[in-house]
This record gives sequence, structure tokens and C-alpha cells, in this order.
Amino acid sequence: MSFEFFLGSLEIGLIYAIVSLGVFISFRLLDFPDLTADASFPLGGAICGLCLYLGINPWLATFFGTVGGCIAGIMTGWLYVRLNILQLLSSIIVMIGLYSINLRILGLGKYLNDEMDTWVGSPNLPLLSTNTIFSPFINEDATNQYIVQPLLVFIFVIAIWFLLNAFLNTQKGLALRATGTNQRMAKAQGIATGRMVILGMAISNGLIALGGSLFIQTQGSADITIGVGTIVIGLASIILGESIFSAKRMWAITLSVIFGSILYRLFIAIALGNELLKDIGIGSEDLNLITAILVVLALVLPKQLKKWKSKRGKSA
Amino acid sequence: MIKVEELQLTFNANTPIENHVLRGLNLNIKEGEFVTVIGSNGAGKSTLLNVISGDLIADSGYVIINEKDVSHLPAWRRAGLVARVFQDPMVGTCGNLTIQENLALAYNRGKRSRLIPALNHKMTDIFREKLRVLDLGLENRLSDMMGLLSGGQRQAVSLLMSTLQPSKLLLLDEHTAALDPKTAQFVLELTNQIVKENKLTTMMVTHSMKQALHYGTRTVMLHQGRVVLDVSGEERQKLTVADLLTKFEKTRGEEVTDDTLLLG
Repeated sequence: MSFEFFLGSLEIGLIYAIVSLGVFISFRLLDFPDLTADASFPLGGAICGLCLYLGINPWLATFFGTVGGCIAGIMTGWLYVRLNILQLLSSIIVMIGLYSINLRILGLGKYLNDEMDTWVGSPNLPLLSTNTIFSPFINEDATNQYIVQPLLVFIFVIAIWFLLNAFLNTQKGLALRATGTNQRMAKAQGIATGRMVILGMAISNGLIALGGSLFIQTQGSADITIGVGTIVIGLASIILGESIFSAKRMWAITLSVIFGSILYRLFIAIALGNELLKDIGIGSEDLNLITAILVVLALVLPKQLKKWKSKRGKSA
Repeated sequence: MIKVEELQLTFNANTPIENHVLRGLNLNIKEGEFVTVIGSNGAGKSTLLNVISGDLIADSGYVIINEKDVSHLPAWRRAGLVARVFQDPMVGTCGNLTIQENLALAYNRGKRSRLIPALNHKMTDIFREKLRVLDLGLENRLSDMMGLLSGGQRQAVSLLMSTLQPSKLLLLDEHTAALDPKTAQFVLELTNQIVKENKLTTMMVTHSMKQALHYGTRTVMLHQGRVVLDVSGEERQKLTVADLLTKFEKTRGEEVTDDTLLLG
């Protein structure tokens, strides 16, 4: 693996670390299986991409993308809390609805710029010549791009990790964690659990959409398909981090999620660069299949290992 | 002052498993009273507590706490008025939060959660001091996970949590039922001590008639969703478990076969 390729994987790993922290909030803290992620990731990308296409300040564009994700999360939370629709179903409904919205958003730029007569959806939006948050730091021949991008994303990740932990240790954050683990107790302590679920979903999907916003700025285009498997990648990172670091404290658990995401990307990179795998015809199109298998392994292996250990303990 | 008026509640109305639990229940509790509540299974003891706390909303009737009609408020809106200890230690506390985080939640009970640190030194000092009274060594384990504690320890902490914020009413729903006899005794004594020290208005549901007469200042017996016996003061002091049992049998109009359940 070349150094540049390594940095590229690191960059994507760091972007997905933000996504994984979002998934961590819904899955682990709120115990809410949230498939909205698969749509809020491209939603963030689409909104951010549209803003960039229209020449809006990249930082503002990133912010708008994030807010879009927050709204998606609020929608899912609202369907569950106020309309009593099952968690999984609420998130799938929002995900399906957002697919159309994402297509529309990706097509809106060309219509607003009068390149199209009617507002039709589009599966992608090229952003090759637009400004991104990375542009000011990249020199003219773009030789430092492969360093600047992961560095800036790294700063994002550290800032979010710090803010998230600060939040989780506030009264609100504690109320959110209590809501996720023991609703009855939370209510008895006067916590409006419904609002907490909606707040948590907003933060979760906001982070996921922020990941999407950063992702399209490193890719040079926004695409409808980038969301496929977001939730599984997030979960893979969480489980990988958990099983390797087995952290107890909140700051350490969130840190392990970040490391999990980076390690996951490196594993994928190594797997795809593997000559043996290449020889038997495995390529980047098999990424999602590899991910699915990885998640199953990560879910099952620790339990099997424990079983095996306890069995050995008994016979000894 | 707690007022419960004409409470009616039916579970699964208009279905084959319809269950009319509360049938016009009335109860007045004066400030500072420690009421023990007894009754057979299905008499409506837990349901009454759940209606007062807001976990269940009655079909009709009123719950008035401190001159405030809370009949239709959800549980979390009543938390500032009502403190609770649940039967199951797992319900009353959060297993994957630390001891001090659990206490911090209770310390803020009924108040808006804000974007300020949940814990500070002043709080942990208070927590440490309060935990020391329990004499369980928990004052040195503030940052341990609640899940590491035994059921009895969790109930003791749960009790402590209910006193961190002033409340108009403390509800104890068979809070020693899930504990072994020795631990149950410890938690009961602790309850008595805490209730007396803080002069808490309390309702304690129990299965044991002995406990019902030994603790508290007033005993209420429920049967088929109504109050059938209400004794306090001198009359209650003279009452023995045997008397209570006779009255209990009379109201049921049948022999009580499972004495152990009632005397234990």
C-alpha cells in the first residue's frame, strides 16, 4: 500500500468516523435501529453539493448539509414518538421518502442555474470546479491535497469527539443516555423521553449528514448511491472498535468508535489491495459484500471466542 | 396533601380479557402521613400507584397533589411532585450509568435538563456524604457502573435518589419484594429512617401484613379497586396481624389459603 493510498483510506476512515459517531448515538445510546442514515448521508451530500454548485460559501454549505440531516432525524424521531410507528419502520419510511428528495436536490442546481428548463431529479451532481472547504489550503498544483484533506477532516473528528463528550456529560446528555437505557426510570426522574429521542435522532443524523457533506467535497461530485450501506459501515466501525478496545468510559467508547472506523477502512484497503484476492477476481464492487461478512464476523466472533474460552476453562 | 377521587380504570375495555381494576377509588392523604397499602393480588395496589405517578392515566376521576390537578399529566411532568422506588431494582436505576450519574439524574428530578455539566464537585460531595449513611461503602465507588451493584444496593441507592429532591409524595411499590429477606429488612429499616428523617409523605405497597402494621402511621386495604379498610392512630396500634387477616378474609368472603404470602 502506497503512502498516498494509505492517506486516502485514512481520510475516508475519518469521514466515516463522524458517521459512525452518529450511528453510535442512535444504535447504542438510544437503542434506536435507525436506517435513516442511508438517506441522511447522501442528503447531507446533496444539500452541501447543491450549495457549492450555487457558489455558496463551503463552510455554510457544510452547515446546511448538516442541518438537513438533523431535520431528517427529527422526522424519524417524530414518526416514532408522536405517531407511534415502529422505530425500524419510521426510519425506513423517512429513508425511502428522502431518496426522492435527494434526487430532486441533486437536480435542483442545474434548474436554478438555468441549465435545465424544468426541475427534474438527477442521480448525481458534478462538483469538479467548485470551491470546497479544502480549497483554500490546497496549493495550485494540488500536490498537498492528499495531506490537507485528511488533516482537515482529522480536525473535524477531534472537534466533534470533544463536543460530543462534553454534551454527553451535560444534564441534557445524561438525560439522553438515561432515556436510551431505561425509559421508565428516565420518566420517573422527570425527563421528557419523547423529546430526548427526537433530540438524539437530530444529533445522530446531523453528524451522519456532516459526514456526507465532507465526503462529497473530497470526491468532487455528489451522488445518490453514496448512501448505500452507510448504516452497516457505521455499525461495522462501532463493533470493530468495541471488540478491539472494550472501553468502559464514554470518552473512550466514542474514541474506540473513531478508531474502529479508521481500522475498518484500512482493512478494506488491505483486502482490496491483496494480490490473492485480486487473482480470484475480487474488486471494489465487492466492497459491500465484504462489509456485510465483516459485520457478521465481528458480531459472532467475540461471542464464539468467549464460549470457546469458557469451555477450555471448564476442562482445565 | 394528596387527594384521589373516584378513580376508574379498566384494562382492555370491551375485550374478553376486560379487567375493571379501579372502581371508584377514593383516598385522602395528609402531609407527613406514611400510608402502608395492602390487598390481594389484583386489588389495584400497583395500579393505584401507577395512576398517581402518571405511568397510567385513569379513565375517570382525579389525582390532586398539593392542590394541583395532575390527573392528565404524563409521568415525567409529575416527577417534581412524586418520587418513586420501583419493585424491580433494574427499573429504578440505570445499570450502564455510573452511581454518581444516577444520583445526578435524581438530583435534577423534575427540573429542566440544561446544557451545563451534569456533575460538579459540590454534588459529588453531597452524594458521598449521603452514600456514607447507607454504610455500604458506596461512597468510594461513585464512578462505578450501577450495574455492578447488587439488587439490595441498587434499591438502597434508589431510595437515596428519591430524597435528593424534595417531593410531595414518595411512592414505594413493593420495593423489597425482589430482595432476599435480610436485604429486604435492611432496605425497609432504611426506608423507615429516611421517611422519618425527611418527614416524607409516603405510600408503601406491601404484601406483608406484618410490615404494613409495623411501619407507617396508617394502613389502607384495597379490594376490587376500592378502599375497604382504613385505620390509623390508636385503632391501628391495637390491631394485630390476626385481626387484619380476619378483616381481610371477611372482605374477600372466602378463606385465605396462602397464609405465608400474607404473614411473611
